[in-house]
Amino acid sequence: PGAGAALRPCSSRVAQDGINKPVIDRIIRVDHAGEYGANRIYAGQMAVLGRSSVGPVIQQMWNQEKNHLKRFNELMVAYRVRPTVLLPFWNVAGFVLGAGSALLGKKGAMACTVAVEESISEHYNNQIRTLIEEDPEKYKELLQVIKQFRDEEQEHHDTGLEHDAEATPAYSVLKTAIQLGCKAAIFLSERI
Amino acid sequence: VRCQQYPPLCALQASAALRAPSDEHKKEPWASSSQQHFDSPPAGHQPEQKPQGPHPSYTGQGGQESEDYESEEQLQHRILTAALEFVPEHGWTAEAIAEGAKTLGLSVAAAGLFHSDGSELILHFVSECNTKLSELLRNEQKLVQLGEAEKKPIDEFLRDAVEARLRMLIPYIEKWPQALSVLLLPRNIPSSLTLLTSMIDDIWHYAGDQSTDFNWYTRRAVLTAIYNTTELVMMQDSSPGFEDTWRFLENRVADAMTMSNTATQVQSTGEAVVQGLMGAAVTVSN
Repeated sequence: PGAGAALRPCSSRVAQDGINKPVIDRIIRVDHAGEYGANRIYAGQMAVLGRSSVGPVIQQMWNQEKNHLKRFNELMVAYRVRPTVLLPFWNVAGFVLGAGSALLGKKGAMACTVAVEESISEHYNNQIRTLIEEDPEKYKELLQVIKQFRDEEQEHHDTGLEHDAEATPAYSVLKTAIQLGCKAAIFLSERI
Repeated sequence: VRCQQYPPLCALQASAALRAPSDEHKKEPWASSSQQHFDSPPAGHQPEQKPQGPHPSYTGQGGQESEDYESEEQLQHRILTAALEFVPEHGWTAEAIAEGAKTLGLSVAAAGLFHSDGSELILHFVSECNTKLSELLRNEQKLVQLGEAEKKPIDEFLRDAVEARLRMLIPYIEKWPQALSVLLLPRNIPSSLTLLTSMIDDIWHYAGDQSTDFNWYTRRAVLTAIYNTTELVMMQDSSPGFEDTWRFLENRVADAMTMSNTATQVQSTGEAVVQGLMGAAVTVSN
């Protein structure tokens, strides 16, 4: 056991309290983008179906997403993470996806919800795995947040199924297309 | 003292420090604990062991018993810091680095550790200035938190931060244009860009920026433009105490504030117009 302090190369970036900044950066950036996009999707759906019978259901899910976004805004400031450059794009794309799927009818909107929430749940699970592999103690707070959000997204997914999402015409095509889009969005938001 | 008597040894010691990182991981003869092989630094972990006694020595002597073992980077850091003193006279060159090495008791051959265009020296200087600025801003923030100082309005904060940072160039102002051109070499652009962006991000962070939308980018872009243009003005400023530069800075920051106010106004006007149109559409449809 050396008495001297561990040598760190002078050029290494001093991480905030020794966290793995690049990994945390990515996680928070992409999650923030995801919640932002989800917000816009529900906004689009409400714009079309707000006054229909599923209006209250969508509104409730939307409210939860608003809370998620608020939490990630706080985390983003706390960890000094840069938001993705593509936010204005997700703003429009999310709304268009929500409104577009809602124009296919109530089942279409639910199908969109199922597809998106399934993608997000899987994505959150991957992140939970990553963080646990890194250091579950150090990232306890973040893990808690992500686990809770994953559970709520899973609820949304189940709600969508309950409301006949699978009865949508061309359900599997729609679902695959949307999930492909989600994968692309996740890939891009992590990096830019 | 030893170095003065045996100059060749100093070059050897400098290069020994260069080669040392691979020796660093050898087992000490008396240590019987399990081997620790670090092929590459594991992410997030710091190498813990530190050879206490003499490291495998190329001099055949006891080695540098009096000095703590230092990494190659720390040595380079010390040489470059020492070299800064000679920049006003020699410019950002190998000569300045050689002079700096001499003051540390090392051979002038130590300058061979670095590029001949002074890139590392300049990047080191910029990095040091940024660190100083961060510390300044952090201390200022502490004073405000303790209630010992007033929180500055944003334009004043930005102005003071940029001024403080640019003032660090004053001792080297004659040679700074040369430094700027070196920083723009393609090889150096990634590093110089990173240093610039992290400095600007730091200033905004301490200014209290909490944006999580596209404003994050707009604000940093605007401040970067202000900083760069002011820096260029400073290069050509011959007024007493650079007062022309500070006045230019004040005007640019004021412009930025006006722009942002205008943008907010445009946005609210736009929203009002949209609302009006929607209302008209609803009326017409009824």
